[in-house]
Amino acid sequence: MSAKLWAVVRREYLARVRTKAFVIGTILGPLIMGAMMVVPMLALRSGSKPLKVAVLDDTGTLRGAVEKALRTARFDGKLRFEIAPEEKGGEAALKKGVLEGRLDGYLTLPADAVAKGTASYVGRNVSNRIDLRTMERAVSDVLVGIRLAGAGLDPGKVKDLTRELDLKTIRLSETGEREDQGAAMIFALILLMILYASIIMWGQAVMTSVIEEKTSRVVEVMASGVPPTTLLAGKLAGVGGAGLTQFLVWSLSLFGVSLAMAGPLAGTLPMPEITPVMLVSFVLFFLLGFFFYASLYASIGAAVNTVQEAQSLVFPVLLPIIVGMVSFPAVLEAPDGALAFTLSMIPGISPLIMFLRIVVQTPPGWQITLSIALLALAIVGVLWVAARVYRVGILMYGKKPTFPELMRWVRHS
Amino acid sequence: MSETAIRLRGVTKTFSGHVAVNELSLDVPRGSVFGLLGPNGAGKTTTLRMVMNIFAPDAGTIEILGRPADHAARDRIGYMPEERGLYKDMVLEEQLVFMAAIKGMGRKEAGKRLGPWLERMSLSDWRKKKTNELSKGMQQKAQFVATVLHEPEVLIMDEPTSGLDPVGMDVMREVMLDLHRGGATIVLSSHQMEAVERLCDRVALINRGEKVLDGSVAEVKARHGKNTVVLAYDGDGAFLSALPGVAKVTDSGQYVEVRMHEGADPQPLLREAAERLRVRRFEIVEPSLHDIFVETVKQHGKEAA
Repeated sequence: MSAKLWAVVRREYLARVRTKAFVIGTILGPLIMGAMMVVPMLALRSGSKPLKVAVLDDTGTLRGAVEKALRTARFDGKLRFEIAPEEKGGEAALKKGVLEGRLDGYLTLPADAVAKGTASYVGRNVSNRIDLRTMERAVSDVLVGIRLAGAGLDPGKVKDLTRELDLKTIRLSETGEREDQGAAMIFALILLMILYASIIMWGQAVMTSVIEEKTSRVVEVMASGVPPTTLLAGKLAGVGGAGLTQFLVWSLSLFGVSLAMAGPLAGTLPMPEITPVMLVSFVLFFLLGFFFYASLYASIGAAVNTVQEAQSLVFPVLLPIIVGMVSFPAVLEAPDGALAFTLSMIPGISPLIMFLRIVVQTPPGWQITLSIALLALAIVGVLWVAARVYRVGILMYGKKPTFPELMRWVRHS
Repeated sequence: MSETAIRLRGVTKTFSGHVAVNELSLDVPRGSVFGLLGPNGAGKTTTLRMVMNIFAPDAGTIEILGRPADHAARDRIGYMPEERGLYKDMVLEEQLVFMAAIKGMGRKEAGKRLGPWLERMSLSDWRKKKTNELSKGMQQKAQFVATVLHEPEVLIMDEPTSGLDPVGMDVMREVMLDLHRGGATIVLSSHQMEAVERLCDRVALINRGEKVLDGSVAEVKARHGKNTVVLAYDGDGAFLSALPGVAKVTDSGQYVEVRMHEGADPQPLLREAAERLRVRRFEIVEPSLHDIFVETVKQHGKEAA
């Protein structure tokens, strides 16, 4: 590497790494990601304290059975309901109780509850799906039991005979099998979001750095010392290096957390695994995505005078990566389908989608190779265009160029 | 070793239909202090940028120190653009060492040379400060150090006097003359004649992208003849402009400048003035570069029209 290029790379790298934002982001990133992974799982498991509910029985016969069913209803081994003693004053008093906070809610059993199978629950919070589902089950069991008994059948025996299927899903891969409880998908999405945000964030950093050199007018001094292509290359390598540093810290700590938790918490917490293949492709697709988008961002930065001016140009450039991000549900639906295959071959979209495919269902090697080759080829093309726009643009001040003017820069420089 | 520091031959540069520099040929002798003069928009900055290889000329050739103007050649030039610029968030000493490094000087070497320069520019106390924390004047001085730290053989400064306070200008002039004595070639571009006149030994005047005259300052002045009289007096000098041989009288407040017609003898003017006024000063002087500049540009404009 030439000494000048190295000097530029070094400056760009240090200029990023020494900022407070970088230090804080690098340290806080893994903490936030860890929290994003662990908190929902913990929240799923351990509910809050049991709900205090009352029963308003219009049938006159069900209270005892329903209260008993609720008192013994469990989710994940824990009792979920406390029954409030019967109150005088009917529904109005119960409503008041809920509003005053003495009760979490009350269950109304209409007179025809057994025949029609209806009931209603009034509470301050009705979005606690798991508790409400538990309540529904418990009351339903009581009602079904009464109907069965009415038809002369033994509820216990029927329950035994109609036991439902409990489907366990197991993800099989080369590294072994492992029970998958939906956490793997959430985890894949988290990784996808990190990849998406990092590519955009570090691409944007390149653009800001180009614009700053223009506004501080230091760019002419630079251009008198190093050729514009060296300057651009140094900038991409330096900023990219800073991005890679942060990204490595993040992904290695994810990897570490995953390893650390897999052992002691195995079975108790549904921790997804991170395989080395995933880790390598995570970093690789970050770098490829970064170079693709950062080159485009650099040309935008060279063409405009201020960050505000850049905004209208940024959107079309980001379109592919946004398409990649919004199409993840379709890809998850059929990771080896035609759509997933196509998207994972299109440069700009491929860094996200090929990575997602590798995580959920690793595609054949030739597809991965082809995707990377196409992306690398596109990067060469984008760099070529960027270098030309950059060379002309960095010394242009004043009016923002139109698209035809930009094309002329590319052709003539 | 080539006698010419910078040689331009038929250099032309066009920007989307507008000819910025047209068929320009120049020779900047080694060791000279060369003034590139011209009004705003004449093509001075474009010319210097082509020398620095920031733009490639559309036609013509540029040689630096006897070699084609490639990247290696321009590392031997210190260039201070008209638009000064430093990285805002960078610590001064790192910034200056970096600037020397992109000119091909090793970091260690640059670090060693930095101390005396900062001392001379009284910036030593600020070496750990960021550009943001420096005053405008200090930034100017820092920029100058950034231009000379890698010990260039040729120093090119585009409008060096713009935005400089008198103290800063004195320091810079002193340093430039030192470098000049040390053998460096110095190229200054300016539209401010007075500043350049005292420094330069050679000048070239360009207007609308074309060279209208060049040569040593003495030559240029001699070519325009000694036809200006500086006259200071007490009394009413209104009659002066009507005297035979007088082309133009310019009142400068403390004195008047009388431009004589080509070949006119100023002696009758002196006799007449002595008779009718109390003369305090009478001096036959060379025209200032400023006058030559204005006159030539006017003439050039007429010819072009």
